[in-house]
Formats: sequence, C-alpha cells, structure tokens
Amino acid sequence: MPGSRRRIALATGVVVATTTALVLDLVVAPPDADQGQVQRLMYVHVPAAWTGYLCFALVAVASIGYLVRRDLRWDRWAQAGAELGIGMTALAIVLGSIWGHLTWGVWWTWDARLVTTTVLLLVYLGYVGVRGLGGGAHLAARRAAVVGVIGFADVPVVHFSVVWWRTLHQPPTLLGPSTSPPMDPTMLVALLVSTVAFTLAAAWVVVRRVDVLASTAPLDDVPLTIPDEVPTLVVVGRPR
Amino acid sequence: MNRSAAQQATHVLRRELALERAGREALVAVGPFVLASVLLLGLGANARTDLLRPLSPTLVWLLVLSAALPLARGVRAVEEDEDCWDTLRCVVTPGALLAGKVAALWLQLAAAWAFAAVLAAAALGARWSAGGVVAGAVGTFGVAVDVTLFGLLIGSSRRRVGLLGVLVLPAALPALLAGTQAASPGVRALPWLALLLVFDLVATALAWALLPVLLEE
Repeated sequence: MPGSRRRIALATGVVVATTTALVLDLVVAPPDADQGQVQRLMYVHVPAAWTGYLCFALVAVASIGYLVRRDLRWDRWAQAGAELGIGMTALAIVLGSIWGHLTWGVWWTWDARLVTTTVLLLVYLGYVGVRGLGGGAHLAARRAAVVGVIGFADVPVVHFSVVWWRTLHQPPTLLGPSTSPPMDPTMLVALLVSTVAFTLAAAWVVVRRVDVLASTAPLDDVPLTIPDEVPTLVVVGRPR
Repeated sequence: MNRSAAQQATHVLRRELALERAGREALVAVGPFVLASVLLLGLGANARTDLLRPLSPTLVWLLVLSAALPLARGVRAVEEDEDCWDTLRCVVTPGALLAGKVAALWLQLAAAWAFAAVLAAAALGARWSAGGVVAGAVGTFGVAVDVTLFGLLIGSSRRRVGLLGVLVLPAALPALLAGTQAASPGVRALPWLALLLVFDLVATALAWALLPVLLEE
C-alpha cells in the first residue's frame, strides 16, 4: 500500500538522519573555540526552534483548510502540529536560556526573536486550550481554527513591534550569529543534518499523531454539508 | 456597510450602553480594580514617585489589558443569561453585531484608560503628551476588537477561565508596546501611532473575516 511505503520510507529517513546527526553533533563536529562543549546545545536548540516555526505554519495552513473545507481531517493536522509545536518551542526556549546563562551569564534577553518565540508558545497554548472548552468536534475545531488564524496573522505584527522597540532601546550589538565569525564548515554540516533530522522526526510524529486522532475520532465526525436534494434515479422508457 | 447594517450596529451599541447603565457591570468590575492597583503600586514602591513616574504609561496599559479580561467574559454574558443570544445573532448581521459590540467595548476600555491615566497623573505625577493620549484612544480600539472576538469565542464558559489571558494578552502586545512608547518622553510618537493604526486594521480585518465562523453555532 502506498501509504505504508511512504511511512516506512519516512521512518527510515528519520532513523538514518538522526543517527548521522548524533554522530556529527557529538563526535565529528569540533567544540567551539570560545564556548567549548556548551556550543553543542545549538545542534538541538536551533532545529527545535525551526521545527516549532514549521509546526506553527502547519497549524495556520490546516486551520485555514478547515475553515474553507469544514473537513475534520484538516483539524487533526492542525491539532497534531500544535501539540508538537508546543514541545519544540518550549524546548528551544529552555535550551536557549541554558545556553545564554552558560555563555553570556544571563537566563533571558529581550531579543526580538526570543520574545516573539515566547509569544508563539502562548498562542499555541491558547490554541490547545480552546479545544478543551467542549461542545463537539466541529465547534472545537472552529474555535481552534480561529485562534490559529489570529495567531498566524498577529505574530508578524508582534515581532515587528518588538524589533522596532529593540531598535529604539538597544542597537543590535548583542552576541549572535550576525556578529560571530563564520561557522566552521563541519559545524555547519552538523547543524544542517540535525535540522533535517528534526524535520523528518517531526513529520513522523505528526503523521502518527494524525493517525491516532483519526482512529479515536468520535462518531459525530460527519461532513457539515447536507445536499439540498436527494438525487433520484429516473428511468425513461420509450414506448414502442 | 449599508444603511440598514449601520442602523443595526447603532441599535446594538445603544443596547450595550443601556445594559451598562442598568447593571453597571463594567464600571463595578474595572473602576475599583484600577483605583486599588494604583494605590497598591504606590504603597508597594514606598511612594517613590521618582521611580514610578517613568513607568506610568506601562502601568496604565497593563491595567487596561488586565481590565479587558473581565470585560471579555461579559461580551455575550447578558444574552446567554437571558437565552436570547441565538435570536440576536439571527436578527443582526455579523458586521453590525461586531461593530456595535466593539464600539461599546471601546468606550469602556477608553474610559478605563482615561481613569487610570488621571490617577497616574494625580498619584504618581505622570505627565501625558498629546501622542500618549492619542495612543490611548487608538490602541484601545484594537484591544476592543481582539477582546470582542475572544469574548465571543469563549462565551461565558466557566471552564478554563484563565484562557482569556493567554489569548488576549499576546494579541494585545503591540498595543502595550506602542502605547507606552508613544507616551514616553523624548520618543517620537508618530511612528508608534502608525503601528497602532496597523494593529487596529489587522485586528479589524481578522475579526470581520472570522466572526461569521464564530456565529455558526
């Protein structure tokens, strides 16, 4: 079956990419000249953040898809994306905080990306939270889709506001990729492979979660549209 | 908006104001809260007005956003209590319903902002620039739109009461940032007022597009 073959291929890709990433991240890539072994946190922090943003995009697209099609399959994709996105975004924030403390001595900075990512986490939590208000599958899906669309549209405005505010209050002189020397090629390859591994693993988790949600869907999972007329079969015969 | 929808919106607004006059729900929920907050802040900071004066715009906006949460729960509370929500959403067009509810909530939030600003001026020595005052009027409109939308989404559900904060506060973050910056001394207010305008437009467009979905129940 094509679906099974695709799943097997995806699972294989996850295993291969993850194994390769582990070897590159922990063994092959050298420690950073300034940060030492702490820098290896980046190989999880950056892909986790990337995956969180990807899941957010999935939530937005699937939410719009549900609002247009009113098919709960779209809603399942959105729900699966949001659940994984919460985990990935929280992981990125926690690891970034640990990295910042070990590297710069601060647990938190008012960096625009960090603030925006935290706002994103709150939007995710709100998205999952409204599902618990009850009222049936389609009502929960509608509420969640509204939150998903609002979050998608609001986060750029939030990000721009914080960037502007940061520009006003502090010139961009903080340590960060833009002010650091170019990355060692081995480190860059390790980071890219880790990102690919996280992306494939996220796809696997989302696909499996959608399968679980579909298998546990309630019986009221029926399309909303009911045809106006029930088609009838009319037989016309020709008299001899 | 055609004339009929405009009339409907005006009727909804009048109805909201009449309900507030009769029940004083917003006044009772917001007024004492703002007064108590300013008082407690002054006491907690040892009456150090030199420290609190620069923070006045932030304080005022935080109070407005905090006051928005109980107001959000009241967006359709009366109609649900009287079991006439279904009638209202069938009789009034979605656009008119949104316009009327937003206008009423905007008046309430703007009044809360003004009250908090006056208290900050009196108790904390805050001075308000023209830009800060205009930001108060413009920013509270966008917050009113968000609060109306989320209030309609949550309804007066008794479950997950804290959810409104998680929904409203991140959405209203641009208003907080731009409102405080526009009121800060030495800061050019015009760019922040422009940002508030964009925030209002984005919020209004989203609410207008999504409201029919929320009214489908």
